[in-house]
Amino acid sequence: MKPRFLPEGPAVLISRSRSILVIADIHLGVESALSRKGWHFRSRTDDRLSRIITCIENTDPDLLLILGDLKHSVPQVTWQEARELPHVLDTIRKRVDLVLLPGNHDVGIERYLEEGELLPKNGIVIDGTGFLHGHTYPSPELAGHLILAGHHHPVIHLYDEVGCSLRGSPAYLLGEVDEGILQIPTVDHPTRLLLVPAFYEYAGGIDIRTIPESGISPLAKSIRIETAEVFLSDGTYIDTLGALRSECDPGSAG
Amino acid sequence: MILDQLDERVQQTLRRRGFSDLSEIQLRAIPPLLRKEHQILIAPTGTGKTESAMLPVFHAILKEGKSGGFQALYITPLRSLNRDMLSRLRWWCGELGLSVGVRHGDTTMAERRKQALHPPNLLITTPETIQSMLMGSRLRKHLANVRYVVVDEIHELADGKRGAQLSVALERIVEYAGEFQRIGISATVGNPMVVGNFLCGTRPFGIVEVPVASRLSLSVRFGGERFDSQVKLIEESINAHLASLIFVNTRSVAEAIGHHLIGRGDIEIHHGSLSKEVRIDAEERFAKGEIRGLVCTSSMELGIDIGHIGHVVQFGSPREVARLIQRVGRAGHRLDQISRGTIIATGFDDLLESLVIARRALRNRTEPITPPRCSADVMANQVAAIAVERGEVETETIRHILNRAFSFFGCDDLLDTCISQMEEHRLIRRDGDRVIMTGRARKYLSTNLSMIVDERKFPIIDYVTRRIIGTLDESFVIGWIHIGAVFITRGRLWRVLEIEDEKITVEPAPKSVGELPSWEGEQIPVPFEVAEEVGQLRRVRNFTEYGADEPSVDYIRRVLGEMEKNRTPVPTDRLVMVEHTKEGVIINICGGHKANEALGRALSILISARFGTSVGIEINAYRIFLRLPRSVGAREIRDLLHSLESEHIEAILRIAMKRTALYKWKLVAVAKKFGAIDADADYEKISLYRLSEHFDDTIVSQEVYRELFSRYMDVRAAGDLISRIRKNEIEVRIGPLSIIGSEGLFTSQDLITPAEGDQAIIGAVKRRLDAQEIILACMHCKEWKQRTTLSRAPDQPECPKCGARLIAALKPYEEENYRIIRKKKKSAEEKEIEAKMLRSANIVLSSGKKAMIALAGRGVGPEVASRILATHTTGDAFYKEILKAEKKFITTHRFW
Repeated sequence: MKPRFLPEGPAVLISRSRSILVIADIHLGVESALSRKGWHFRSRTDDRLSRIITCIENTDPDLLLILGDLKHSVPQVTWQEARELPHVLDTIRKRVDLVLLPGNHDVGIERYLEEGELLPKNGIVIDGTGFLHGHTYPSPELAGHLILAGHHHPVIHLYDEVGCSLRGSPAYLLGEVDEGILQIPTVDHPTRLLLVPAFYEYAGGIDIRTIPESGISPLAKSIRIETAEVFLSDGTYIDTLGALRSECDPGSAG
Repeated sequence: MILDQLDERVQQTLRRRGFSDLSEIQLRAIPPLLRKEHQILIAPTGTGKTESAMLPVFHAILKEGKSGGFQALYITPLRSLNRDMLSRLRWWCGELGLSVGVRHGDTTMAERRKQALHPPNLLITTPETIQSMLMGSRLRKHLANVRYVVVDEIHELADGKRGAQLSVALERIVEYAGEFQRIGISATVGNPMVVGNFLCGTRPFGIVEVPVASRLSLSVRFGGERFDSQVKLIEESINAHLASLIFVNTRSVAEAIGHHLIGRGDIEIHHGSLSKEVRIDAEERFAKGEIRGLVCTSSMELGIDIGHIGHVVQFGSPREVARLIQRVGRAGHRLDQISRGTIIATGFDDLLESLVIARRALRNRTEPITPPRCSADVMANQVAAIAVERGEVETETIRHILNRAFSFFGCDDLLDTCISQMEEHRLIRRDGDRVIMTGRARKYLSTNLSMIVDERKFPIIDYVTRRIIGTLDESFVIGWIHIGAVFITRGRLWRVLEIEDEKITVEPAPKSVGELPSWEGEQIPVPFEVAEEVGQLRRVRNFTEYGADEPSVDYIRRVLGEMEKNRTPVPTDRLVMVEHTKEGVIINICGGHKANEALGRALSILISARFGTSVGIEINAYRIFLRLPRSVGAREIRDLLHSLESEHIEAILRIAMKRTALYKWKLVAVAKKFGAIDADADYEKISLYRLSEHFDDTIVSQEVYRELFSRYMDVRAAGDLISRIRKNEIEVRIGPLSIIGSEGLFTSQDLITPAEGDQAIIGAVKRRLDAQEIILACMHCKEWKQRTTLSRAPDQPECPKCGARLIAALKPYEEENYRIIRKKKKSAEEKEIEAKMLRSANIVLSSGKKAMIALAGRGVGPEVASRILATHTTGDAFYKEILKAEKKFITTHRFW
């Protein structure tokens, strides 16, 4: 299995016997939530949908797997979401089968999904690959697999000799996890994790260096830092997380 | 006789006031004003400008008879000026039987209601209050009676967006009142015609100008390079005159000088950060002659009356000719008197610049003002205002109003673009040719009455000493500051550890990893012409023609001699020196702040594109400092200067500016005016970095660029410099770092020296911990606790009640918890608290004072403290462990 990274998403295509297009954290309907916070923008749902369609057309997958947080508002479905979600889902369904791993923002999404589209919250193995939104402990069946997860919105800042040369770019983190922390059994294969960046373009993101301490999920804590690897949204390998952290460790000062 | 033309009642009042004759400005201004012509009046302060405008207005109101509503408006930019004008005009109005009132932000509700019921004949107000008055139907009715509008300090307003907004407001009043007479009162400016156009639009107007230069007496003195000797010179000046104003350029310098002189007892400080009461008290004591010196910033520039001023001291270069004239013009406040001023220069750049500015002032070479034209955010604001005023309105009506205002002549297409953008943010709706207000619009307008951008200030706290080391402006914080960011202020590098409660906690950053923006604070830009003339003066060296005294010339020659000895050529208006330093390259170029800003930023983006590195830049009027990696040197910079084409600069800058703090800050400010962002929206909720892309190619980003390229940088002057370099009129040479090159950049006028090196840091931590309050609490009998400081705590505490040594050391905020442990039934949470206290007592029992010290650390609990103790370190190393733990707490606890 080799992942194909799609910077136009960001999205990633996983192919074994089937090809699965994976998109994480779309946060449709964010505009109405922003509006309550004092930010008034027109809905960009159409732009996001056309980006999704582009990814589908560029890869012609057997399945589109949405890795959670398709919608934005919690704890209720907003008017904007109610208005826009059916159209978005129908447009996708016309092109490809879709499934959703519900995220913490997907409250109330069931009524917009058709039978078989909603996957279990604590993750699933499809075609040999594990999938999980990332805010919960994974199901034990994911042990020993590569687990793709969203929820963390990873981004990277890169520094050179003088200063910051790349700021807040979406990034992937690939590494082994500590099964003990995740409360899943240890099997003969190591369990690995691929954190997928957010598709949603307003996401500020979390600096990939700080994810292990971020405390936002069991997954974050379970990452084996020294060997974990960091990739840009087009698949460019940057370095190990351990090296990135030591090169710019806030604790090395003083 | 001019006096005879005035109404008899006005003449009588003049006689009662003791006016035997009129001043020059009054003599010349009154006749055209009596003919109802629009006029711009330019004269030195204190020559009776206000009366020259108001006597004809009084005359006319008396002649025409009082009507209901406001008959005359007197508009000033500041509330303090309003108060001053009220006390001045109240006497006249009282004598003449007219009513006068003031209305602005400070006016009480009762007073406002009174004005709505019984409008005074003359209303003194601010531009923003006019905006709010136009929102109310009753006040609009009163405004319909306006026959005369006086705009005081009009140069100040015209130069910015406040003025653009005011120019539309005047046209909106015309819609109700018909045409009225317009009178502008201005300080000396380079282009009085533009001031007139600004006030009157296409209506004809006259200008009455009494030049200020002929009344100026200016001298420049060199105050030495040390602050002590500079202050001594100020003192000499204060002692030589009865009443002096000492102008400084920044608040921190005002504080520093005040600190030195306050012991004298006859000096006060006056600046914008002080409370209104403190300022008014200082003004009054000065006016009464109780103090003889007032150290002030631009807060005292405008014409607030504080009695007679004998002499003005300008500490450090005034940066602009207009500023110098305005400030010195405050002295000698009687007719036919000379205004005397002394500039005390503080260094090489500062001295030459002061000489140039003083000479330009005497030659009446004031800078022109540049009112913003076609400013889209002002337009959006006024479209929303008109929509709210009328509920719904024809687009053509709005166009008609805007087209009469100078600020919006010929910006036709802009209106439709603005309306579409506002519609996108649901501030207005469009229905065919009509614009209709939405539910949000009224709330928007009440929070967007003003075009003044109010910037919050964020204190910066050094986490080692827990002291405030300075403040950052909101613009800088929004654009740059995130946890881990490194920035430069006061000439040092700092790293951000925490942003909380509008405070920024930092530590000294040892090396330059991270983005390197620098924060200069309140900088007044030096104009291109001044910087260029300084370059010329460095080349021609005709110092005495500039009136330099002997000590000044000696000092300049000493610096130039040193340059020669070091074989470092002196950069001039014809020579750009590119100098190597350890950390980067200094380009010595006499371009002034705005041209250097443009050039520096254009170069930095070219360098980062060509060499794949990021670049830190710091600029002042005479040099650009580029922080670069070793691989890029002076040679590469020289080649870039030669290959850059002036017509490409703007396009390059568009890319460059997008990444800056300033751009994002301006983008937010403009987007607010379009209704995209509420005035009180929370920035932390959204990635500004990503968001800014959504305004690409919209009118919002266009407005930001328009403003950046006209206000903050001078693209045209930068282009001129580059094309003169290409034509070899300006030579570019490479050299080692010179003393002129390093001036200003590395000699930051730091008044607070931050902790440096391990020793200093640990010393500071020890002091902080020693003073830390702790609670000692017996965990055995559970009946004794005591609050003390760490320094007073015994090495091995014992309970005086029961004699046990099981004493917990708690933080002051944990004192409350002590009663929990005496409870019979405890919740799970309370049990945990008890266990934590026991752990604390246990380590105090085993390690004594050392444990208490560790436990006093910020965010250090018993668990972390025992880990620190387990390192078995002593002395400084022990404190370092505590520091490390504190830092870890600060950098991680926001995620808990």
